[in-house]
Amino acid sequence: MGVTALLWTGVACAVGAIGLLRLSWGRPKRSIVLNGAGWGALLLGLALGARDAGAWGVAVVTLAATTGAFLCLGLAGMTARPGKAAASNRRVHMLPEGREPLRIGGRLLTFALTVPGAMAAAAIVSLAVRAAGKGLGEANGNVLMLFLMPIFWSVLATLLLLWPQRRRQAALLLLPALGAGAVWGMLS
Amino acid sequence: MSQIIPKTLVQRGLSAHAAIGLLASALLYIVCLTGTVTVFYEEWQRVEQPRAPEMTSIAPEAVQTAIAQVLAAEKGKKPTEHLYVHLPADALPRATVTTDHQAVHVDGRGHVTTRELNGWSEFLLNLHYTLTIPGIVGITLVGGLGAMMVALSLTGVIAHPRIFRDAFRLRAKDRGGVGLADWHNRLGVWTLPFSLAVALTGAMIGLATVNGYGLAQSFYRGDLEAAYAPVFGAEGKPDPRAAPLPDVAAAIRSMAEHFPDVRPSYVILHEPGTAGQQVQILGLHPRRLIYGETYRFDASGRYRGHVGLSDGAIGQQAAASAYNLHFGNYGGLAVKIVYALLGTALSVVIATGTSIWLGKRERRGFRQPRLRQGWNGIVWGTGVALALTLLARRWIGNEAPFATIFWLALALMLAVSVALPERYQVRRALQIVLAASVGALFPAMLLPG
Repeated sequence: MGVTALLWTGVACAVGAIGLLRLSWGRPKRSIVLNGAGWGALLLGLALGARDAGAWGVAVVTLAATTGAFLCLGLAGMTARPGKAAASNRRVHMLPEGREPLRIGGRLLTFALTVPGAMAAAAIVSLAVRAAGKGLGEANGNVLMLFLMPIFWSVLATLLLLWPQRRRQAALLLLPALGAGAVWGMLS
Repeated sequence: MSQIIPKTLVQRGLSAHAAIGLLASALLYIVCLTGTVTVFYEEWQRVEQPRAPEMTSIAPEAVQTAIAQVLAAEKGKKPTEHLYVHLPADALPRATVTTDHQAVHVDGRGHVTTRELNGWSEFLLNLHYTLTIPGIVGITLVGGLGAMMVALSLTGVIAHPRIFRDAFRLRAKDRGGVGLADWHNRLGVWTLPFSLAVALTGAMIGLATVNGYGLAQSFYRGDLEAAYAPVFGAEGKPDPRAAPLPDVAAAIRSMAEHFPDVRPSYVILHEPGTAGQQVQILGLHPRRLIYGETYRFDASGRYRGHVGLSDGAIGQQAAASAYNLHFGNYGGLAVKIVYALLGTALSVVIATGTSIWLGKRERRGFRQPRLRQGWNGIVWGTGVALALTLLARRWIGNEAPFATIFWLALALMLAVSVALPERYQVRRALQIVLAASVGALFPAMLLPG
């Protein structure tokens, strides 16, 4: 796969960074120095990967760091002692408990808003971005639209579920969609 | 971080995380598990058809011979619109010619030897890409699942303010739900870069069809090809008048001369044997994420330029990088193995998510044994159903109805799991069946067929 000395250095920095973070996060109190050194080494590793082979180098360094973290995690799992901590029983309000109503209509409406609703809004917004970004060039504009749409959809779905009030949800969907539609209309 | 994120937001984040997870988890699990197995797509093809001729490279003249032989064999049929020659690569050292009518392997001299038999690998890829749902629906659904996976990552971070602080803490031996939650959260946080990368690229690829229609309707008067042309290049105008076959050998030699560091991976002929024919060679660039660059040649094999996937607009390079970043085929077997491990970890995150939710309900006194049995049916049954399709490939052959076998087996295991009373340990039974199926696969795939 053609690994150079620079990339090896980047990989070593990233794996070392995971070790530093493990050391830092394992302490009873946070250490700004160790935390900074850990994150700094990780950034340096990524920068060396990018310097050596662009996006490919960043991907390889990231995989190395992740593999290092999994090794630390495996070690933590193997050396852990059985504890008696009580597991969480936090309620997430997904299904009714006891005699609570099913609220089928409300659930269906939430689904309609977060799945097809947010998808449509995300598509309108990303198409408007494509229309507004004529100066970027045709290829960049089209690919930007293809990448932005799922990002907008995910963010909108997240926000809609974080703010369950219907008025807020309607505003979250309608305002960006109408705004984007208006921008699009002005540009075309 | 716990001070930065208000408690109410954490609670809402957890509800949002659970809502998306419960809605999408079953399909997401199938897509994730099949994606993990699909990482070895090329290797599976070699397992499926171990006796196909293999070679490290093929001479340009042999490629020319192969094209001529295949097209000669198709005389009398509707002329093929496209012809692809897969050239030997490290992961799949075979030369294969594919037309609209057939796919055949050729030997080192370019002579046709046998049909390509990779029905199971194709089924696996199709299951991952579309859940075997035909048309635009399947691929869009899978793309939507990718978007939901991004949302799950976002809400997961919001719902667990200590997720980074506790990133190395794994109480694997704790019982009563603590260990399970730790596995879910730790694997979740460390797969975050990977899951965001595969989810975003998967969503982009899956939703590209429906978004392409959106682009086409909005900016290209409904012409889908025109929407993609600025990124992946345009096809030439068809001219159906008969013409001699192009000099592909000269084109391959020209590649070696002009681009010695680029390894040709595919030869693509558009409208072969017509005056409108075009020759393209897809070239692999070492140490790049792009799946390749498309080089254009005229019928006499003269280089006519390239599309720009390697050095064109940043959007072209990003779009061409999405596929390799998603499937992990940019760094040989080592990267594939890491992708398979991370894919397995992600499958565990999805599987444990619903189990954690069920456990919390049980601890509050709301037991739902059928739901738990059903979830066990999905988690372990998917692996069993996949193993059964591979056994069917061995015992029935390349034409086995893989999709039918997979979905029927999964539906049956799900129905039995839900129907059986709790005293029957469905999870244990399915684990034994999975181990037996996987155990049977090794001798079945290794025995001469």
